[in-house]
Amino acid sequence: MFDTLKDILVKKLKVTPGQVTPDASREDIELDSLAVVELSMVLEQELGIVISDNELIDVPTVGDIARLMEERSAKI
Amino acid sequence: MAGMDVAVTGLGLVTPAGNDTARSWQTICAGQPTADVDPGLAGNPVSISCRVTGFDPEELLGARRAHRLDRFVQFAVIAAREAVADSGLDPATWDGARVGVVMGTAGGGAATFEAQHRVLMEESPSWVSPLTLPMHLPNMVAGQLAMEFGATGPDLVVATACASGATALGTARDLLQLGRCDVVLAGGTEALLNPVTMAGFAKMGALSKRQDMPAEASRPFDVDRDGFVGGEGAALLVLERVDDARARGARIRARLVGYGATADAHHVTAPHPDGVGIEAAVRAALADAGAVPSDVGHVNAHGTSTPLNDLVEATMLSRVLPHRPLVTSTKGVTGHMMGAAGAVEAAFSVLAVEQGLVPPTANLNKLDPKIDIDVAARVTPRRIDLAISDSFGFGGQNAVLAFARA
Repeated sequence: MFDTLKDILVKKLKVTPGQVTPDASREDIELDSLAVVELSMVLEQELGIVISDNELIDVPTVGDIARLMEERSAKI
Repeated sequence: MAGMDVAVTGLGLVTPAGNDTARSWQTICAGQPTADVDPGLAGNPVSISCRVTGFDPEELLGARRAHRLDRFVQFAVIAAREAVADSGLDPATWDGARVGVVMGTAGGGAATFEAQHRVLMEESPSWVSPLTLPMHLPNMVAGQLAMEFGATGPDLVVATACASGATALGTARDLLQLGRCDVVLAGGTEALLNPVTMAGFAKMGALSKRQDMPAEASRPFDVDRDGFVGGEGAALLVLERVDDARARGARIRARLVGYGATADAHHVTAPHPDGVGIEAAVRAALADAGAVPSDVGHVNAHGTSTPLNDLVEATMLSRVLPHRPLVTSTKGVTGHMMGAAGAVEAAFSVLAVEQGLVPPTANLNKLDPKIDIDVAARVTPRRIDLAISDSFGFGGQNAVLAFARA
């Protein structure tokens, strides 16, 4: 799931690929409140995974976002 | 007020004529038209334009930044980087609180708005991007430049349609003379070649229909002109008070010595038939400069290539400037860059004054016999002590700038 998330961050939000590591924080990849909304939208559009921007903003790292995506997709 | 005069110490351009100042000026002086068929306007009533080409925002700004900026801001950031570098000022060391930004744009990020409206209609309101407003709002260009350069003084965008770039420079001059800033980054930017905007211009009857010969479509003052060709791009000028510029040993390219601003109060698109508003703007700029009409050595005209503008403007110029200074419209090369045009043409006026060179008006094959001014058909070396640059906007707003040799 990390690779899927990385692909979305790079291709859709244009984050520099080298910055996207499991330990990277939201600040490390410059995911401000607007980009978090973008990410929430893209996850739902592309993968059908519903995670609100309010939830995403509290997730500490990219790896944690990927884990949350796995949890949510398991419920689909 | 000599010491309070304003110096132009930096220029930056992104235009259909070239993606920096040197290349733009070279194309302008060669009189090479840039209009071409525009695939982005396929299906529009008029599908030719003057596009900025070879401009790769991801390479210039980085993919992430480019993704979050509308094209009208991308142009401005790149032009501003060139202008600041050209001025010799260092944003790392300047007092940002004394640096202002004044930009002009007619439409801001209308292309972003159009694209997101398509998402709303064809997909869902829920999929409209959260970046819609940060990309679309016209003021964002000034906000982005403030962030880029750490400029924390007055930060504004003015909108007077196709006079916006000139209004921005005049407003910047006011800020410097009032002492509110020590440096102002000022100019205009536009990226309005989106289908809705261009269809609107076409339906107004403002655009040239010479689609089979796009290179000949923008022909200011020519007897066969039939409308303007839309253009895009940006111009940034670094302005400082002359005393400050001299004190730091800056190269002064020219001085911005006068600004005149008026309204026609007549009609939403048609110029006043007697040109009273535009004449008042020229006279106000000259009075502000402490100059008389016979001082004017060159006019960079608004010269859109529409039948009505060019006739009314030329008639006004022949009345106010009977000594027949050499007039040019650089829109024959660039097309009409709308809110950027006033700033782009101010930059060309600065270069004309600095280099003693009147650029040609492209596509001037036969001067309209109803027009009684001297229009430069080829590049002409000439010492220019004072040049004026006219800009007029739909809505009836007029802005005229006067530039003098350093």
